[in-house]
This record gives sequence, C-alpha cells and structure tokens, in this order.
Amino acid sequence: MSRYFREWSVAGALGVLLIVLAIFAPAFFQAQPLLSLAAAEAPTLVIACGMALVIICREIDISVGSQFSVCGVCAGLLAAHHAPTAVALAAAIGTGACLGAINGALVAGLRLPSIVVTLATMMTWREGLNWWRQGEFVYLPEHLQWFGLSQSAGQWTLIAAAGLLLVALALALRHLTAGRFLYAVGTDMEAARLAGVSPQRVKFTTFVTMGALTGLAAMMNVVQSPQVDPKSGTGLELKTIAAVVVGGVSISGGRGSLWGAFVGLLLLACISPALTHLHIEAYWEKAIQGAIILLAVVADGVRTRRKKS
Amino acid sequence: MSAAPAAAPRWKAILFRHETLLLLVLVAEWFYFDAVGARFATLDNTFEIVRHHVEIGLLALVMTPVILTGGIDLSVGSLLGLCAILFGKFWRDAGLSPLEAGACTIVVGALAGGLNAALITELRLPPLIVTLGTYSLFRGLAEAITHGSDTFTGFPSSFLALGQGHWLGLPAQTPVFVVVALGVWLLVHRTTFGRGFRAIGFAPEGARYAGIPVERRLALAYVLTGMVAAVAAIIYTARLGQARADAGTGYELYAITAVVLGGTSIFGGVGSVHGTLLGLAAIAVLDDGLVHARLPREAAGVLTGVLLLLALTGSVAPKLWAARSKRRPAPPAATPPSPPLPTP
Amino acid sequence: MKRILPLFLLAGLVLAGCSKSAETSGGGSAKKLTIALLPKSKGNAYFVSVRDGAQRAAQDLGVDLIFDGPTDTDPAKQNELVDNWTTLGVDVIAAACENKEGISTALRNAQSKGIKVITYDADAQTDARTFFVNQATPDGIGHALMDEAARLCAKSGQYAIITSTLTAANQNEWKKYIAERAADYPDMKLVAVRPCDDQKDKAQSEATALLSTYPDLKLIMAICSPGVPGAAEAVKQAGKAGKVKVMGLGLPNENKLYVHNGVTDSIILWNTEDLGYLTVQAAVALAKGTLKPGDTTFTAGKLGTFEIKGDNILLGKPFIFNKGNIDQFNF
Repeated sequence: MSRYFREWSVAGALGVLLIVLAIFAPAFFQAQPLLSLAAAEAPTLVIACGMALVIICREIDISVGSQFSVCGVCAGLLAAHHAPTAVALAAAIGTGACLGAINGALVAGLRLPSIVVTLATMMTWREGLNWWRQGEFVYLPEHLQWFGLSQSAGQWTLIAAAGLLLVALALALRHLTAGRFLYAVGTDMEAARLAGVSPQRVKFTTFVTMGALTGLAAMMNVVQSPQVDPKSGTGLELKTIAAVVVGGVSISGGRGSLWGAFVGLLLLACISPALTHLHIEAYWEKAIQGAIILLAVVADGVRTRRKKS
Repeated sequence: MSAAPAAAPRWKAILFRHETLLLLVLVAEWFYFDAVGARFATLDNTFEIVRHHVEIGLLALVMTPVILTGGIDLSVGSLLGLCAILFGKFWRDAGLSPLEAGACTIVVGALAGGLNAALITELRLPPLIVTLGTYSLFRGLAEAITHGSDTFTGFPSSFLALGQGHWLGLPAQTPVFVVVALGVWLLVHRTTFGRGFRAIGFAPEGARYAGIPVERRLALAYVLTGMVAAVAAIIYTARLGQARADAGTGYELYAITAVVLGGTSIFGGVGSVHGTLLGLAAIAVLDDGLVHARLPREAAGVLTGVLLLLALTGSVAPKLWAARSKRRPAPPAATPPSPPLPTP
Repeated sequence: MKRILPLFLLAGLVLAGCSKSAETSGGGSAKKLTIALLPKSKGNAYFVSVRDGAQRAAQDLGVDLIFDGPTDTDPAKQNELVDNWTTLGVDVIAAACENKEGISTALRNAQSKGIKVITYDADAQTDARTFFVNQATPDGIGHALMDEAARLCAKSGQYAIITSTLTAANQNEWKKYIAERAADYPDMKLVAVRPCDDQKDKAQSEATALLSTYPDLKLIMAICSPGVPGAAEAVKQAGKAGKVKVMGLGLPNENKLYVHNGVTDSIILWNTEDLGYLTVQAAVALAKGTLKPGDTTFTAGKLGTFEIKGDNILLGKPFIFNKGNIDQFNF
C-alpha cells in the first residue's frame, strides 16, 4: 500500500471525480465520446511516459511541445507528397529521435542543465517552425486517417498502441537492468557511476527515447484528422510535466512510476471535459487545474513532513 | 568576491569571464544592427528598447536571487497578469486612486509570493512544481475574475505617464527600474543576505548548519519576486493603457532566459545581478535590432534560443577542454574524471 | 567595482552610438515608400492570405512592404512593433488592432512623428488613424453569424460557441453582437462558450465534450479559424454529420473537405486577399496624397472602386461560403 500510496491517492481523486460525474452528469459515460477522448489523449500518454523517464533520471524536457509540432509537420508533409504511411511514421520517429539527440548531446555531452537546454531548443524549434511554415495547415491524403482503417478500429489501434507502450515501459523500468540504471542515475549520479553505470550514456539514451516517443506521439496525432495544425502541441510540455508530477514522480529524480504518470494524466485529461459536463464556465478551468496540481503536491508534502516528525 | 583561479594570469581571468564574453556579444550585436538596420543606434531607439523591456527586466532582476538559491519561479508572468487586472479592479471598481490601487496591488503581489514561499519552505516542496501550479492558478484566477473578457481601460493620464511619458528626457519607468536594480544588486552583492542566497544554492543543508535561516531567506526571495511582479504589472498597465487577463503571457521564460544568459547557474550558488542586466540587454537589443534589420519576429525566438545555447556552451567549453587535456596524459583507469560542477 | 566596469563601458558605447541620432528622417520623393503591415498575430492562415494580397499590391505599386507581427499571445508585442517602426521611420503603418485602447497610444505617437496610420481588420480609436479599411464591422459579423445560425437551425434549438481564447478582444466583441442579435431569435439557446486556444486539436476535444454533454445540440458555431475544422472533425467522428450543424468564421481552403462531406454547412468570411490588397493600395494612396479625408470613393487598382463612408473604406459585406460556391475560392 505505502509503496504505491501516491498512485492510489491520485486514483482515488480520479474515482471521486468520476463518481461526481456519474451522479451529476451521467452523459459523460458514453462510448463514442469517451473513445474519442481516449484516442485524442493517447499521444499525450506516450509523451507522458517519456517525460516520466526523463524526470526519473533527474532531468526535464520542456521542448516536447515544439518537437511534437515539428515531427507532426514533417510526417504530414511526407504523407502529403504521397509517401507510404510507414515512411511517414519512420520519419516522425526519426525526426523526434534526432531532436532528442540534440538535447541529449548538450545535456549529457556538454553537461549543461537540461531545463535551460530544452528551454532554448523549445524556443528555437517553435519559432523556426513558425518561420518555415507560417502557421499553414498540412493537408493530408485521405488514406492516412486512421491508417486506412475504420474510425473505431483506428481509435482502438491508437489506444492499444499507447497502452502496450505504457505496460512495456513500466515493466522494463521495474525489471530490466536498463530501467534500474535510470533510477540509479536519478537517485545519485556519483554512486551510479561508481557502480559501473555511465550516467551520461543513460541520460543521452533517455533524451533520444523521449524524442522518439514524441515523434511517435506526433504521428499518432496526425492520423486522427485530415489536416495537421502546426500549432498543435503548444503547451504539451506543461501538461505532461504536470501529469507526471501529480502522479507522484519526484522532480528531484529517482522516485516514481509510470503507473503514477498514467493516473496523473487520466485525472488531468478528464478535467476539461468534466467541466463542460458539469456546466462550469470555461474561465474557471485554468484556476482549477492549478489548484489540483498544488493540492496533489501539498498532500504529498504534508504526508512526508508528518512521517519525518 | 569570487577570486580568479590563482594559476591563470589576471587578464585571462577577466577576458574569459562570462560577463566579458556577454559584453562582447552585446557590442557585436550593437554594431551589427547599427550597420544593417536603419536608425538603430539612436537615442530615441535606445529609450524604446529600455521602455519595452522594463517589465521583463524587473522580473529577471528578482528572479536572480531566486535562481541563486537553486529555485525557480515560473509563476511571475501569470502573477503579472493577475496583478494587472487586480490593479484595474482596485482602481475602477473599488474607486481607489492609482496610487492606492498600486499599493494594494503590491500587497497582493507580496501575498502571492508568500503563497509560493510558504509551500516551498514550510512543506519543502520543489519550487519548479509549486510555481508550475501557481502559474496555472494565478492566470486562472485572473481569467475567472474578469471572465476572460473584462478589460480595464481609461486610466487617468497622470498614471499613464508612468508607462508612456518622459522624466528628465528618460522613459518615465527608468527610475523605477534603476532603483530596483540597485536594490537587488546591493541585496545580492553587498549584504549577508546575498551570501545566504548563494550558500543555500550550493548546499541547503550546509547553509542550515552554518546558521543561515534558510526558510527566511528563501521566503524573502519569493516574496520579493511577488512584489516586484506587481510593480511590473503596474508599469505594464501604464505602458499599454489597459489591463487584461492575458498580460505578461510567457514573460517567465524571457526572465529566466535573461538570468541564465547572464551567467547565473540554474542549479544555484553562482551568478550575479550585473550578469543578469547584461543578459537582459543582450536579449533586448536582439529583439529590437531584428525589427530594424527587417527580419521577421520569428527570428527573435530562434536567435534567442541559439544565443542561450551558445552562451551555455561557451561557459563550459574551457572547463571541458581543460578536463580533456588534463586527462589525456594520465593512465586511463587511474583517476576517474571528476564529475563536472554543474555550473558554468 | 571592477565587476560593474562593463556596464560603464556599455553606457559609453550607447552614448557614442547615439551621436548618429542627428540623421534626418524622410528622404524625399525619390525613395521607395515603405508600408508596414501589422497583423494581429502571425502564423495564422487568415493573415497569411491577407499578406498574399498585400504583397501583390506592393508589387503592382512598387513599394516596400514589411509584414510582421507577434508570434505569441503577448498583447504588448503589437505596441512594441509600432514603436519600432516609428523609430525606423516607415511611411505608413497599417495595423489590425488586437487591443483598441492599448495600441492607440502607440499609433498616435507614430502620427505625431509624421507617419501616416490606417487600420484594417480591427479598428483603433478614431483619432489614432486616418482611415479604417472596414472589411466588415463587428456588428456586421456578429449579426451575419447569428442570422446564418438561425437559418440553419430553423430558428430554434441549442447552440454552442467555440472561441480562440477567452481574452481575445475581437472574439469578445463578436460574442457581444451575436448575443445582441440572438435576442431576435428567442427559441435559440446558447448553452456554452468554450475556448480552443487557437488550436484545431483542442477545438476538436472541446466539441466532442459539447456533443456528449448536450445531446440536443443543434449547432456549433466556431468564431476562430482553427475552430471550424476542429469542430467539424468532432462532429464527423461522433457520426452526427448533418444532425449537428457546424458553421463559423474560417477560410475556404481549411474547410473545403468538410463542406463537401456535408459536415460543415457554411462559413462566413470576406475575401481576405482583397482586404490585404485594398489596405496596401489605400496606404500608398494616403502617403502620396491621392487619398484624403473627405473623399467618398477610392479606386484600388484592379479591384475597382470602393465606397468610403466617413473615414471607413468599405470592402463589402461578409460573404457566405457553402457547398455551391466554395470551390471558386482559393485562400
């Protein structure tokens, strides 16, 4: 119980929200809108998984939103020029991995602080994309949407892909040596190094993985509609960081699980539609989101403080 | 204060100091834009640059002690927005004079900073997360209070002069900026508080054992940030002649950029207020010069990012180089390379 | 003390550099005119097509065109650009104002330095500019939107609005006039207003939530350009095409697909390229003195003659694009 206390308490908060919705707005629980919501959030889950990895090894990546846009536009442009879907997917993941490698090289190679490095790359990629595309939509060929499957099959594919990825990464993090390395580096870099782990290599790999996952997520978003909006992805970094942190991953590294990130994201993703269903005016949304983030961390803070004293 | 390494000649130490390099960048920017842009290096334009960057500058100044302690404050831009509309509320709906409304706004700013401080010091929560939460909360409150749509305008011209007028030929907000800059500089570089900030940034536990009241120092840094964000909000309102809930969107990133560009380590412990001023000037000149050079706005974002990366790389390059040349002659397994200080 | 030496050096440098400030402005008639065109935000398909029209006019007339604007949502950026152009000494500033009161100060300041100012798309305070190129007044847009919505719903039913952000001035103004006109349709009921942050994907999620919250919803009105395709995609995915109407303010190209699929019923807009073209034509004419306050008509090159009402140059009424005519337009 105490091992996954944080995960369970966030799940509890989510449960309360769902009960409130079940009583006051049962219309929330309809198959199609929930499926659409889940499919739309599947890419965010993929990024949140990556973000959890990055934060567990005591780094942060605030350039994911910009990376997401760049990868989406690149994949979209390729598809628009009649490249097969597989090529577009590979291009999205490849572009993401390259952008991630740039972050990784700067952080691990030059030992620069990741928050500043990714702040710089966030600005550079975002404004570079604006400069290049001027905000123009990319119009996709028809066969790309849902990978050419039917709508619900496509949505289930995306959800299943994100779910499988989550399970695979979570298990790998628990049971594979590479996963333990991540915690080791996040907890104490020097100790990890003395134990024979190369912290810089672990960090570099983590950033590349983050980039590749962002590229995958971008592609999962691209296939959901017939046009790519280069602005999509703006603010994604804050959303995923908030989800991961609400889910109990410690920002100072070495602590937390992907399950936590998953529940945290579920909670945050449900807030916006829940407010619509509860007929709460849109201008309360940001304040409520902020309050929930604060409550989650305060609850944790109070608990650890009480434990200490 | 921080002495140059004894081995290196003194001129070399000065030449390779971060501030010196930054100054060279600034000079290069200045002459480049003067050469390619029309009417860049004029007195009028210099004053425009100052006027446009006072608010971000104020935020960057008070962000410096926060980052020196190893913290960060992501909520300043949102707080600027909240304070701007509260100032409008105090003035228009509560019927206070701009002076009284300003005083109330600064109190609110201090309270908001106090909230950050309380969560960070009392509960020992990471500043990044606390201020990420208040970043949403403050902006959200601003939107909730105005329903997003209420805009405050029609301020008296005596108040607007603070943002748009002149004082002894200078933009009217300059004195405020100079006072805050001097105050923060003295606080950080000439008082024991400053040493406290640095000590906390290096090692909070060590600072505690050394008898520094860590909680109170941290609280001071965040409350000060809240108050100055309120001042920035008032100047912003005076400059634009209106207050709306989206005021100051994204300013936190510019402020952090200026501080980090100025050589303050994001991990705390190392940095200076004059470095921040130079970093701010480098961003401000770039931002303005690109318009004169007729380059599109997007270029400003791209080049600010690139400049930040170059400055960071430049600051670690000598150290990496030294580490490498030192390591080469040594037998490979004898001494593991010492972990680099995370600071430039 | 040594540490602040650089600052003194810098101050000296600034003063040295400023010695050139005696450089005179103007430059005589031989110089090419420079027109600065300020959009509300860059990277927005609407203003991209305005720019295309403006560039054609600039080519036709042989003038220099600067097209630049904020890339983010910071409301102070427009002021800063106007101030910069004022010191830069452009000949005419043509602005689409995001903040009426906020930007007027900067525009008046520009006028006092001898720069001609006109506005287009969204007006400033009337004393801060000479002419307003009026593509459609806010009340004209609001009323047209509401009338079209009422027509699509046969004057009764629930409808929801998707806006860009809650704070955007033009959106709030349009909402006001939509509400004003809605008084004429007592059976039409506005159930919710949701922001989409100017992102198509967010508009889609918001519309999905709206569709499941209000099963009797008859129409979604999106009043920002990314909102219309976003809402249409949500309606299409919910399988409610035809049952729930989608309409709003948007560009033909972004919506062609959905209009042909029968998801989106109609979109309302004016010819944005013509707006850009007319604005630059008017700006040049104003600078050359061929357009003066008091004129009642204005001939804008190959677009023909436009009526001037007071100090508003009228582009014409908003246009309704639907299945029948949308393919004739490409912007």
